[in-house]
Amino acid sequence: MKVLATYNIKGGVGKTATAVNLAHVAAAEGNRVLVWDLDPQGAATFYFRVKPKVKGGGKAIVRGSIELGDAIKATDFDNLDLVPADFSYRHLDLWLDDAKKPLARIRRALLQVSHEYDYIFLDCPPSISLTSESVFRAADALLVPTIPTTLSLRTYEQLDRFVEENPDMVRELKILGFFSMVDRHKRLHRRFMTELRTAHPEMLEGTIPNSTDIERMGVHREPIGSYGKGSRAARSYESLWSEIQTRL
Amino acid sequence: MSKVRRYEVTAAGDFASVLAVLTDHVGLQLVSLEEVERSWVDTAAGTLAQTDTTLEFRTPKGEGTASLTWAADGRVLVHDSCVANSVPVQVGDLPESAAFARLARLIDGESLVLGPTVNSQIAVLACLDDEDKTTARFVFDRSETLEGIALPMLLEIIPLRGYDSEAEAIEKLVRRSVALSESATPMKALVKNAIGTRANSSGLSTEMSAASAWHVVLQQLTKSITDSFSGVLSGNDPEDLHAFRVAVRRIRTLLQDGGDIIDPESRDRFRHEYRWLGDITTPTRDADVHLLEFPELVASLPQAQRDDLAPFNEVLIRHRNECQSSMVTELRSIRRAEFGSAWLEFLSDEDAWTGCGELSDEPVLRVVIRRVEKAHRELVKNGGKITKKSPAISLHELRKEGKRLRYLLECFGPLFDQEALATILRPLRDLQDVLGEFQDTEVQGEALFELAGELATTDDRPALVAIGGVVEQLGVRGSTARNEFSKVFGRFDDRKVQRAMNRLEVTKSSGKKKR
Repeated sequence: MKVLATYNIKGGVGKTATAVNLAHVAAAEGNRVLVWDLDPQGAATFYFRVKPKVKGGGKAIVRGSIELGDAIKATDFDNLDLVPADFSYRHLDLWLDDAKKPLARIRRALLQVSHEYDYIFLDCPPSISLTSESVFRAADALLVPTIPTTLSLRTYEQLDRFVEENPDMVRELKILGFFSMVDRHKRLHRRFMTELRTAHPEMLEGTIPNSTDIERMGVHREPIGSYGKGSRAARSYESLWSEIQTRL
Repeated sequence: MSKVRRYEVTAAGDFASVLAVLTDHVGLQLVSLEEVERSWVDTAAGTLAQTDTTLEFRTPKGEGTASLTWAADGRVLVHDSCVANSVPVQVGDLPESAAFARLARLIDGESLVLGPTVNSQIAVLACLDDEDKTTARFVFDRSETLEGIALPMLLEIIPLRGYDSEAEAIEKLVRRSVALSESATPMKALVKNAIGTRANSSGLSTEMSAASAWHVVLQQLTKSITDSFSGVLSGNDPEDLHAFRVAVRRIRTLLQDGGDIIDPESRDRFRHEYRWLGDITTPTRDADVHLLEFPELVASLPQAQRDDLAPFNEVLIRHRNECQSSMVTELRSIRRAEFGSAWLEFLSDEDAWTGCGELSDEPVLRVVIRRVEKAHRELVKNGGKITKKSPAISLHELRKEGKRLRYLLECFGPLFDQEALATILRPLRDLQDVLGEFQDTEVQGEALFELAGELATTDDRPALVAIGGVVEQLGVRGSTARNEFSKVFGRFDDRKVQRAMNRLEVTKSSGKKKR
């Protein structure tokens, strides 16, 4: 089992679209895949048409009083399951803070279902908090969608610094940044991409375009590979997934 | 997670009218409706059935591409369209995906055998909640055999994980709307019962003469060779060469055990030629194994030594390319072309397969069981003589005897009682795995030392030291395999297996075992 977290300190960069679409690509290849929607906004849950409610409440999972497996819902796609979001996740930091060994809580919950899945995607809320630190501890890799703009670059470097300064917390964690919502017509996007790639040659080659096809996920409430198979955006997630697999 | 519920539809009316009730009255959403010819595929030993999974090949009536579905109790593990519109026979015929790679590992290089085939109408329906999210899937299935025998209509209810209560509610509604009776029998088993276990689409039947059965199996194996030949020449995928060599070895076994069945002059000639064909592919296969296993062996070394081995990887690649090139030259030689044509001519000459040996016209089952029993006896006798002090060569010889038994069982697998066959094959494969591991580690260790000679000329000491580490690892693996021998041999030389040997034959009338 590999745990991949889509994460960025900044919001609105395409984290959820990345988690949902990569999970769909991985499952279509026959991998057994789980998405855990940790964001109280529940966008991944919405995309899969699942009701944003965890049986027994999200707190019970964090405390270990119910098993993660009991909260899992199958999506409409073969081999692809979801732990839905719950609005109560807005208190996740508080629950973790109250718990013993808070940083190990998410990892411990995941271990209960590790034998059932090849890949688990964690769709994380933005910010650096106790939740994100627990995610860092649980994940094998962070997938960091980054818009080629000044603010995004700044947050990418913040994350990079954080990881460097906290080697104990992140252990073997891989940081796999890639450009998201790219508009190649914009000179500024092209320039920032060149700059960041020079500063961070470890960034993935694959990019996700700024595409209305991806925005339509909210209308279709499905991964793009389901309603837009073969589109440029769908293909970009497929090639990004191929590249990620080589880096894990 | 709830299990799949299965019902036989006892309601009056045809497929269309029952389907109309499910959609119009119950309110299920029709997801797909197709008319297909479908076949179940498995290895001769029933590896998939043993793991409670099914592999289904579907060809649509009319337009569309064929597809392959691997499923566990009605739940799809993977579904993909087939590149070639023909039933997969070798691992290389499977679509490329992570799940099919898992399937390939499971069947472990075995050929796939076509099982029962039916014509079906299949409707997939979904029960949706108020978010239009599927909470349960329904598969409504009407099938008939190729001979036109209609099978009971089946309705499977597949609850989705996390939606058990919704599935139960809709199940109640369906049961109130359509006359159903509970059934534990999946369609594959219904088909098998209708067709009978004795006849099968592998082309073999127990009523055949020994010569006809040998002929059918040799034709199938020749097809495997032909199918993988271009891949062997290109050298892009080691699986092609593996499949090619397995087919060659099986043909050699059938020729070896074809005394009094096959024309003796042809048998001698082709045994000789197939031995040559096997031999010329061995160096490339060994080189493939070095390359495939090298990363794992290197990973067991400390990081510093791993880096030292980078030049040796290049040596391995160069060596593999040289082997491939020599092999291709041989495969394109006049000898190979003449032998290939003569073999095909021999297979297509019907006269060469009648009355050419004392046992040619004997019923195949009687002949093949005698040969299986003999191979089993020899394996048990010689395996029992092996002690911790026996030389390595005795284990290598035993491996060859094991292969002979395994190939006879697998090539004629569809003729045997499947449960008995599986009981024998499981411990036999484990035994072969251990013997194979022992031999591979020996051969690999020697070959790596020999290849390391190339590095000695460049005086690359760190690389030579690291190779020493790799060979040491191989030695450890070899010793482990050797130590495991008595345990796995004990599981094979067991009463359960002996009893299964006595149950291989199925009686003609009742399907119950005799002897």
